[in-house]
Amino acid sequence: METLIGKGEKRIDAYDKVTGKGLYASDFDNQFPNMAHIKAKRSPYAHAKILKIDTAEAQALEGVLYILTGQEPGIDWDQYPKAAVLATDRTLWAGQAVALVAAETEELAEKAVELIHVEYEVLPHVLDYYEAIKPEPAAVIDPDYETRDQGFQDRPADRATNRVSPNIVGAFYMNSGDVEEAMAKADVTVEGEFWVGKKTASPLECANAICRYDSDGGITMWSNGAGVHGVIKQGICRILGMKEAYVRVIQPYMGGSFGSRLNPYIEILTALMCLKTKRTVRFTFTRKEVFCSAPSNWPCITKIKLGAKKDGTVIANDYYLCEEIGAALNNTFFSGRLSSSGAAPCYRWAEKGRTSNMRMDTYAVSTNTVPAAEYRGLGCPEAEFGIECLMNRLADELHMSPVEIRLKNIIDNGERNCYGELITSIGLKKCLQAVADEIGVEEEPVQDMGVWKKGRGCAVGGKQNTPLGRSEAEVWYNSDGTIQLFISCDENGMGATTAMTQIVADQFHVPITAVRTTKGDTAITPYDNYSASSRTTYNLGNAVLAACNECIAKLKEEIARHFGLHPSKVEIEGTTAYLKGTYVQEVNIPSLFVPVGMFTQGNWGLQQGTPVKGHGIYCPAPIHQWDKNGLSDRVWNWFQYSAAAVEVAVNEETGEIKVLRVASSADTGNPINPKLVEGQIVGGVHMAIGFSTMEEHLYNENGEIANCNFSDYRLPGILQMPKNEDVHAFINPDALPDGPFGAKGMAESITIPVGPAIAEAVYKAVGVRVTGYPMTAERILALIKEKKAKEAAK
Amino acid sequence: MRFEKYFQPGSVEECCALLKEYAGKAKVLAGGTDLVPRLKMGLLKPTAVIGMMDIPGMDEITLSEEGLTLGALANLRKISLDSRLDQDYLVVKEACGHVSSMQVRNMATIGGNACNANPSADAIHGLILNDATAVIASDKGVREIPILEFFAGPGKNTLEQGELLVKFVLPKVKPRTGAAYKKFAIRGDSDISIVGAGARLTLAEDGTVAEARISLGAVAPTPMRAVKAEALLSGKAPGEELFRQAAEAAAEECSPISDQRASREYRLEMVRVWVRHALEEALERAK
Repeated sequence: METLIGKGEKRIDAYDKVTGKGLYASDFDNQFPNMAHIKAKRSPYAHAKILKIDTAEAQALEGVLYILTGQEPGIDWDQYPKAAVLATDRTLWAGQAVALVAAETEELAEKAVELIHVEYEVLPHVLDYYEAIKPEPAAVIDPDYETRDQGFQDRPADRATNRVSPNIVGAFYMNSGDVEEAMAKADVTVEGEFWVGKKTASPLECANAICRYDSDGGITMWSNGAGVHGVIKQGICRILGMKEAYVRVIQPYMGGSFGSRLNPYIEILTALMCLKTKRTVRFTFTRKEVFCSAPSNWPCITKIKLGAKKDGTVIANDYYLCEEIGAALNNTFFSGRLSSSGAAPCYRWAEKGRTSNMRMDTYAVSTNTVPAAEYRGLGCPEAEFGIECLMNRLADELHMSPVEIRLKNIIDNGERNCYGELITSIGLKKCLQAVADEIGVEEEPVQDMGVWKKGRGCAVGGKQNTPLGRSEAEVWYNSDGTIQLFISCDENGMGATTAMTQIVADQFHVPITAVRTTKGDTAITPYDNYSASSRTTYNLGNAVLAACNECIAKLKEEIARHFGLHPSKVEIEGTTAYLKGTYVQEVNIPSLFVPVGMFTQGNWGLQQGTPVKGHGIYCPAPIHQWDKNGLSDRVWNWFQYSAAAVEVAVNEETGEIKVLRVASSADTGNPINPKLVEGQIVGGVHMAIGFSTMEEHLYNENGEIANCNFSDYRLPGILQMPKNEDVHAFINPDALPDGPFGAKGMAESITIPVGPAIAEAVYKAVGVRVTGYPMTAERILALIKEKKAKEAAK
Repeated sequence: MRFEKYFQPGSVEECCALLKEYAGKAKVLAGGTDLVPRLKMGLLKPTAVIGMMDIPGMDEITLSEEGLTLGALANLRKISLDSRLDQDYLVVKEACGHVSSMQVRNMATIGGNACNANPSADAIHGLILNDATAVIASDKGVREIPILEFFAGPGKNTLEQGELLVKFVLPKVKPRTGAAYKKFAIRGDSDISIVGAGARLTLAEDGTVAEARISLGAVAPTPMRAVKAEALLSGKAPGEELFRQAAEAAAEECSPISDQRASREYRLEMVRVWVRHALEEALERAK
C-alpha cells in the first residue's frame, strides 16, 4: 500500500463535529442530575484594598453549599494558576475572584453571589506599560518582588538589575557580537518604537469543568482544559495534595483553546470545591469571565534599531522589549524573556558567515490587568511586529523590494542564529517567494475603488519550539486485526489526532479508517504534557512511531515463532503477514490468534481477545544553559517559519482596512497531512486579521474591560474576511531531521507575519506608517489626518 | 429568566387592560431580540410578559393612496424585502435591512426597534426621514405623536403606563423625492452602529431643494434630526459644496459621547462623512 504520509486524509472527528453528535465538555452538564453549581464574586476594581467580606447573608440562603474566600485557611495561593488566585487583602485586577459559591442550582449560586457584600477601598491602578513603567508608578503590583523566592534564578539579568520601575519583574539580557561597532559601520540605520495591544483568545466554548466526587473519595473531572495529565491531573495532585490514583481527568472534544486553556484556571478551583462539598460540581465561565478572568496574551512594547549596509545586509539589531504580564505575582519561567525568542529566528543580523550582532534587553512589567499567559504564538507576533516593520522601512530607504531585502538576510539551513543555535530546517525563503509572487508584492495595484486605496505588503515570521516534556503513546493490534491508538494530546481543533492516526495507519499499511483512536483520559490513555509550542506532531508523532515500532516488532516475533522464522523474515500489511524463507508465503494474522474458551489452559502467545501492545515514549533533548551573555547552542528545539503577503484596501474617509487578498505559507517540515496544514494556515490568517485590525481590551474608569462581550470586542465575522478564493495557502517544507517523517509543527507561525504585512500594505495604500496594532479604523484615520495636516502646513 | 405570568391577548384593548393592571411591571414581547437577552441577563425583572402576536393585523404592512402603515409587529426582514416599497419608501426598506444579522431581522419588529429607544437604532431612520406618526393606544383611546417625540433618552420612550404602540403611519411621498440611510459600523450590519446617517431631499421643479430631512443615530441621547443642516439646504441648488456644509452643520448639532465603540471625535468625523454620502445618494434617487 502506498504511504499515507503527506496525504490529505479526512479528519477523523469531522463527522462528529459537523453533525453535532460529538460531545463537548458542556454536553456533560445534563448527565449529572444532582450536580451543584459554582459562581464567582468578582472585583469590579482594578486595584482595591478589601476591607471586609460579609458572606453571612449568602451563607444563610437555603441551597448554598459552600463559600470560599481568599482568607480560607490552608490554601497556598502562590501555587495556583495566576488567573485562579482569589484576592486576599488586595484585588489586583478587575475580574479577580473574591469569593466562590457552590449552590444547588445556578440561580441560587448567582443569588448568593449578589448577597456577598464586599467593602473596598479603591486604590490607584496602572493599566498599561507606559503607566506601569514609571519610576514612581501610581500602583505597585508586587511590592514583595525583591524578596520573593523565584523559581528560575539561572538566567542573565534575572533579578532585573536595571529596574527602572518597581513594576519590572524579570528580565533577560543577551549580547552577541558587537552591536555598537556594527552600528557605526552601517550605511543606514532605522529605528522605532512599536506596541501591540492586549487581547483574549476567543474559543467558542467558554472554559468548563465538571468534577464528580467518587464514593471512595477520588474525583473524576470532565474539562475542556488542556493537558489531562501534564496540566490538570498534575496540578490537582500537586496543589490539592490528591493521590495520583484518585484523580481521573477526561477531555471530551474541546471547543477551542488557541493556547488560552493551557492554564488550569478553573480546573483546580472546581476540584477544590468538589472536595469541600463532596458533591459533583460544575464551573462554567460566562463570556464576560473569559475576557475579564481568564488569561490574555502578552502585549509587548519594542524599541528597535537596525543597521544595514547599502546592499541591504542588516548587520546589527539593538532590541529592547517589554512584555506586559498583567497582575501576576511570582515570577514565572516566561517573565521578561519569552517574547525575546521572537527576535531571533529569521535573520542573520550580520554578514553571511559572521557572528550575529544582536543585543537584546527584555523585561516584564506588571499591571492591574488580567494575568497574561499562553496565546497562539507565545509573544512572537508581538515581538516581531517592530522588526518586520523596520525591515520594510529599510527596504524603502535603500530602494529595494521588501522581498529582496529579506531574501538577503534570512538564515540558511546549516547556519547559526543569533543565540548560536544550529538551524536544521528552514524553508522560509521559498515561503516568502511563493506568497510575494501570488499577491504581486513587487507590483503596484490598480487604484479602482474610489475612496478605498489599495496597497500590498509582505512580512515573515518565525517561532521557536520549546523542548518540552514528554509524550507517550500506546498502540494495540487486536486479535481480529483492528488497530487502536491511545494518546493524550489535546485536540484544540488543529487535527493532531487525525495526523497521529494517519501515522499508525501508515505503519500498519491500512486505511486510516481501520485505526480507532482513544484520547485524553488519564485512567486509560498514556502520559502527555499538553499540546503547546506547536509540539504535538513532533513530540507525540515520534512517540506514536516508537509505539508502532514496538507493536510491530512484537507481532513479527510472535508470527515468526509460529513458522520457525527469524522476525526479520516477516512483513506486516494490515491483516496479512508476508513471510520469507518458508513454504507459506502469506498468512492471515487473525487466524494465528487461538480461540479461547472457559477451560482453555496455557494461554501464552497470540490469543483471541488479547491485543499485541506497543508503547512509545519521546522527549526532546533539554536545552543547554546559556552563558553570561545569554548565548547557548541549544536554547530552543527547532523553529517554525511562515511568510505572508496581503493586498488591502484602506478607506481614506473612515480609516477602515479591508483585506482583499492574502497569501500565507508555512514551513512545516514534511507535512503529515497537507489538508490539515492548509486548514491551520487559513485559520491562522483569519485569527491574525482579527487581532491585527480589530481586537483589543478597552477599559472603563474602574479599570474593568469595557468591551467584555462579542458585540463590543470586535472579532471579525465571515464578512470581514477575504473570500475563500482570495486566501492562498502554500506549504514549503524543509524536512526536520528529527521530526517524524521530517515533520515539524506550524500552527503558531502563521499568525506572526500577517500584522506587519498589513501594516506595510496600509503604508503603500495611504502613506501612513503604523507603529502598533490593532490597526483600528479610528487609529488609521487619525494617522491619515495627521499626514494631511502636515502636508497642508508645508 | 423567570417571570410570574405570560399573556397572549387577542386584541389591543385586552392588551392595554393587562398593561394597566400590571402598572409598569409588565413587558411587551414583540420579536424578543432585545427583551429575551435582557431577561436572561437579569437586567429586566418584570412580573408579567405580554406577547402581542395574537393581536390581529399588528404585523401588517399596508400601502395605500394615503401613504404607508407599518404595524408595530411588522417584521424587519419582511419590510426589508417588500418590493412594493421600492418606488417611494426605499429608505424604509434600507434602514430595516441594516438592523443586525438576518437571524435577528427574522425575529425583530419595527415597533420593538422603536420602543427600545436605542440611540443607535437603525430601522427607525426610515420613519424619521418620512415624518412618520406613532399611533398609541390605551384604555383612554388613541393618540398620535410625531416619531421624534416618541424617544425620551437612551432606552426610554415616551409611552405612558398602560399605553401600547400600535402602528406607524407614513404620509404619501411627494414627487421628486429621494432618501437614503447609511449605517456605519466596523463589522457591517451585525455591529451596533457607530454612526447612522439618513437624508431625504424633495426637489422643487427648478431642481433646488424644496424640503430636506437629515436623521442621525448614535450621536445623541435619542435618534435626532439635524434641523440646522436641513435649513441650510432648503431653497438651494444641491451640490458637493452645499452637502459638505450641511454635513458640517450636522456635526455641530449632535452631541456624541466616547465609549467602547468609538470616540466622540471619530463619531463627529463619521457624521461629516456619512451625512454627505447620504445626501449624495438621496439626490441621485430624487432625480
